[in-house]
Amino acid sequence: MDSTTQYLTIIIFVLALVITIIVTQFVRRRRTLYVLREIPAFERLPGMIGEAIEQNRPVHVSLGSSGLGSTSTLVAVANAELFYQITRRAVIGTAAPIFTVSDTSALPLAQDTLRRAYASRSTISSAPYNSARWYPGSGHSMAFAAALTATLADDHVGANILGGSFGPELALVAEAAARRNQTIIATSDQLEGQAVARVMSDEVLIGEEVFTAGAYLGSSSTQIGSVVATDILRFLLILIILIPTIIALGNSFFDGSFGRIIQNALRTLSGGG
Amino acid sequence: MARLGSALATAIVIVVGLWTFFGLVIGSGNDLGTLSDLANGIRLNSITNLFLQLTVITVALTVLIGIFNLLVVHLGRVFGSGKPFSQRINSLVLVISAVGVIVLGVLERSGVLTGSPAPTTVLLEGVQVSIESALAGLVLFALVYGAYRMMRRRVTGSALLFTLVLLLMLTAALPFTTPGMRVVGLIRDWLMAVPVSAGARGILLGIALAVTVAGARVLIGQDRSYRD
Repeated sequence: MDSTTQYLTIIIFVLALVITIIVTQFVRRRRTLYVLREIPAFERLPGMIGEAIEQNRPVHVSLGSSGLGSTSTLVAVANAELFYQITRRAVIGTAAPIFTVSDTSALPLAQDTLRRAYASRSTISSAPYNSARWYPGSGHSMAFAAALTATLADDHVGANILGGSFGPELALVAEAAARRNQTIIATSDQLEGQAVARVMSDEVLIGEEVFTAGAYLGSSSTQIGSVVATDILRFLLILIILIPTIIALGNSFFDGSFGRIIQNALRTLSGGG
Repeated sequence: MARLGSALATAIVIVVGLWTFFGLVIGSGNDLGTLSDLANGIRLNSITNLFLQLTVITVALTVLIGIFNLLVVHLGRVFGSGKPFSQRINSLVLVISAVGVIVLGVLERSGVLTGSPAPTTVLLEGVQVSIESALAGLVLFALVYGAYRMMRRRVTGSALLFTLVLLLMLTAALPFTTPGMRVVGLIRDWLMAVPVSAGARGILLGIALAVTVAGARVLIGQDRSYRD
């Protein structure tokens, strides 16, 4: 890591930290100020879970190959929040939700998510820890996808929500779900998996939308605060991309003197000569 | 008591998280002047390495938890009451395969089983790789079925655009060299270089931003996962 990258990393992180802290406090005080835009997948989720409960069939959630202690740690944590919101709704049914992972480091996260979901309904004693299942698979494993297709059939799953890290193997799982008339919502932090999810899911979560699950399904003010913080950072990023683009375009139109024109204009605006 | 535990967990996460972050950014790179001096003074790098080693050991331990989970879950499905026959058979095959591979691995390591290539390598290359390759071949058909389903479900602008682009990509992959095909190839190249690349970068930037904010939330103790 060169020193410029080191400084940039620190600046970006501190900026994210400061914005998150300030915005969260602001949203806590004025909750109604920020209206979340509609995300069809989150609107559909409660209905999907309700249908599965009525049919006495389990809801299946999967983290794919994301796990803790690797580059996908935060993706796993964000998806665990989504799955917490889902399992919290699903535990009122008789069929226990199924949580599958292919990275062993995600197994404690899966079991903890189930524990918290049952604890939130004061039924922690009936938490089925063997509903968190590990199916071996390395990276984007077809073997893991095959295990999931068998799970969909064997356990008569009612609804599938797949998040975390999936590659093209997601197509096999989604196709198996479609064949059995099981609804599916999928997303992935991998582009190949995201593309497959776009085509094969009943509803799709794109890119960072999965990180907003807590705000949409749990509606806590700290979660909404993080959505607002992400939006602020997004606008900053757009500005950072746009300003050099405008300067580069201007330079190409004004034979390289656009940068000087801007400099002079800024100096005049700030009261300089 | 639960509140105290939650506060303790949050405090540990904040201290260890921030320490490791700054240790990785400041301690393992170029000289950043005062920041590097400060990092050396408080032994930032060596303590960060200790945290990372603990993480690696914990992750390694989870492999044992995973194997235990696999056996418990599937033995429960084999011997549990009221389970369908297909479920029992699938789980039984899985348990036998898992135990078989573990036993083979142990015998191989202890020198009882010898041979070149090693039996576990034969299993991996002869069974797992072949089956995974066969499954990978099915992905194309699953995707075509997915495109069909998407159009059957709802004909929208984006679905139409997707189907058009898919057809164009498949057509451009045909091994013909007519002038018309060259134009299709040019359109394919432009699509890949401009809109596809821009879209991919947009999605990745969005994920990166959300990951940064999620990391910040974890480090300031706002995340729920270790508080409840």
